[in-house]
Amino acid sequence: MEKIHIICVDDEREVLESVAQDLELLSEVFTVELCESAAECLELMDDIDAEDDHVAVVISDQVMPDKSGVELLTEIAEDGRFKHTKKLLLTGLATQADTIRAINHAQLDNYLEKVWQPEILQLLTKQLLTRYIVEKGIDYQPYVSHLDAPTLFKLLQ
Amino acid sequence: MFTRYLKYILPILIPCIILLLPTTAFGIDGLTQIEQRVIAIFVLAALCWVLEPIPIYATSVVIIVLELLLVSDKGLWFTKVPSDDLGQLISHKTIMGTFASPIIMLFLGGFFLAMAATKYRLDTNLARVLLKPFGKDPKYVMLGLMMITAIFSMFMSNTATTAMMLSILTPVLALFKMEDMGKVAFALSVPVAANIGGIGTPIGTPPNAVALKYLVDDNAISFGQWMAFGVPFVVVMLFIAWVLLSRLFPASEKEINLNIKGKFLKTPKAITVYATFILTILLWLMGGLHGMNSYVVALIPVAIFSMFNIITKEDLKKISWDVLWLVSGGIALGVALDKSGLAANAVNAIPFAAAHPLLLIVAASLLCLLMANFMSHTATANLLLPLVAALGASMHSLLPYGGEVALILAVTFAASLGMSLPISTPPNALAFASGHVKTKQMAKVGVILGVIGMLVTYAMIAILNQMGFMA
Repeated sequence: MEKIHIICVDDEREVLESVAQDLELLSEVFTVELCESAAECLELMDDIDAEDDHVAVVISDQVMPDKSGVELLTEIAEDGRFKHTKKLLLTGLATQADTIRAINHAQLDNYLEKVWQPEILQLLTKQLLTRYIVEKGIDYQPYVSHLDAPTLFKLLQ
Repeated sequence: MFTRYLKYILPILIPCIILLLPTTAFGIDGLTQIEQRVIAIFVLAALCWVLEPIPIYATSVVIIVLELLLVSDKGLWFTKVPSDDLGQLISHKTIMGTFASPIIMLFLGGFFLAMAATKYRLDTNLARVLLKPFGKDPKYVMLGLMMITAIFSMFMSNTATTAMMLSILTPVLALFKMEDMGKVAFALSVPVAANIGGIGTPIGTPPNAVALKYLVDDNAISFGQWMAFGVPFVVVMLFIAWVLLSRLFPASEKEINLNIKGKFLKTPKAITVYATFILTILLWLMGGLHGMNSYVVALIPVAIFSMFNIITKEDLKKISWDVLWLVSGGIALGVALDKSGLAANAVNAIPFAAAHPLLLIVAASLLCLLMANFMSHTATANLLLPLVAALGASMHSLLPYGGEVALILAVTFAASLGMSLPISTPPNALAFASGHVKTKQMAKVGVILGVIGMLVTYAMIAILNQMGFMA
């Protein structure tokens, strides 16, 4: 079974932990990693890539001290190694300009407002994981119980 | 801890032990070295397909490469040292040829048809039109769904058909009430129909292709002939499955509305696809009238779709080469058993002739059904059919009951009827992923349909035999 990572980035520890809690069900088969800054996230992704493992989903906050969420996700989007990595922006404080940049440059897959409903975050993450796995040509069978079935059916046709 | 590695250790250890034993240790008179190596390869294949330490198609490739290295006329130098008991080396061209055997070409043609149909949305559009007459009563909508799934899976892969039908179905099932058993019935109806539907044509499912390898010369069955008994079998089984599902899991919902969007494409390319589809099937059904057999016909759509850029270079990469290789490995295994002389030798050494022929048919098909529930249908067919074919050819007491053909068909049908667990087939896994079905419910339906399916198979063979089909 391939090692597939979900990375959550937020400068506030409590937010990170609540995201991790919402994704607990997924951590049975996927690895959920928590980063407190954009720099930490990029470094971790470097390491994961060097191990030939997968970064399937990055869930990032927008407002962070040195590098914003959109900047981080744009950097990931432009990196050829992570062209299939799915990106979710989680924020309460994004201006319209941020939002436009997020969609045009960071090629955002999903946008979720703080405070979110745990089920919604879980569902969106599952959908993104399913898309990543099918697009990357990873055998979906071992993960099937943790994927989003309707998305899977659509992609397998 | 140790048991975790057993699935890697056993497939290496046991074949090695077999290779090191003296040729006299097997209780088969005049066993040659080549035959002994074939036994080792066969055992390796069986262990790898059952325990799955590597992907099942990889096992097939390993079989072919090991045969080339160990028993072919161009193998490793020390495998060809002349001696009295060396035996018959197999031509390397024959072994490599299994990658492009006519049966593989037949499947390739089927893949092209299915890909083009999906690409030009012939499948969803047909589903939309064909579902209309079934109205809105859940019971009849389910019947319609099952019939359409079965028809599609006769020509497309069972997995792709299931994915398509389930994606039509899931938005509707989401509207059902929490405790409505109808959800279970609907979610199960699709994989059940896909598994059963595959039996209908030679290209419906890979085990059928493997069977064709052993139905040659006097026993040859044409595309049309296969459908002549396959389709009625599918119809009977579908009806039984429908009654069973609607009795076991009645829907409380009064009305159900399947909403499939889209229109038939009317571009020149789409029309080419429709025409080629119809032409190919007609040519298949006409049998020998035009002088072409089904293998030759299968390559016509390949040429047409490539020519008009309907299947592009990129589409070509999406062909399920793993399925083709999986079948190739099975064919190569059969070739090795046959050409080395092992099949004939071993059958003579084991006193099967003493057993009652009907007992043999029942035992072989039940073993196949059991194996198919726990492992890949194609791998099961790959392993059992060469043995069964060798056995059938040598048993004269089988002749009054339909001979070799009866035995091969019973085992082939059994391979497709293994569907009681989520791991039994990819369609089952997908239905399970939908979250509407519990393993226990799937097992109940699967076991009942497996047993009834075998009884219907025996009845069908008896009728075919009465009609003189297998003479």
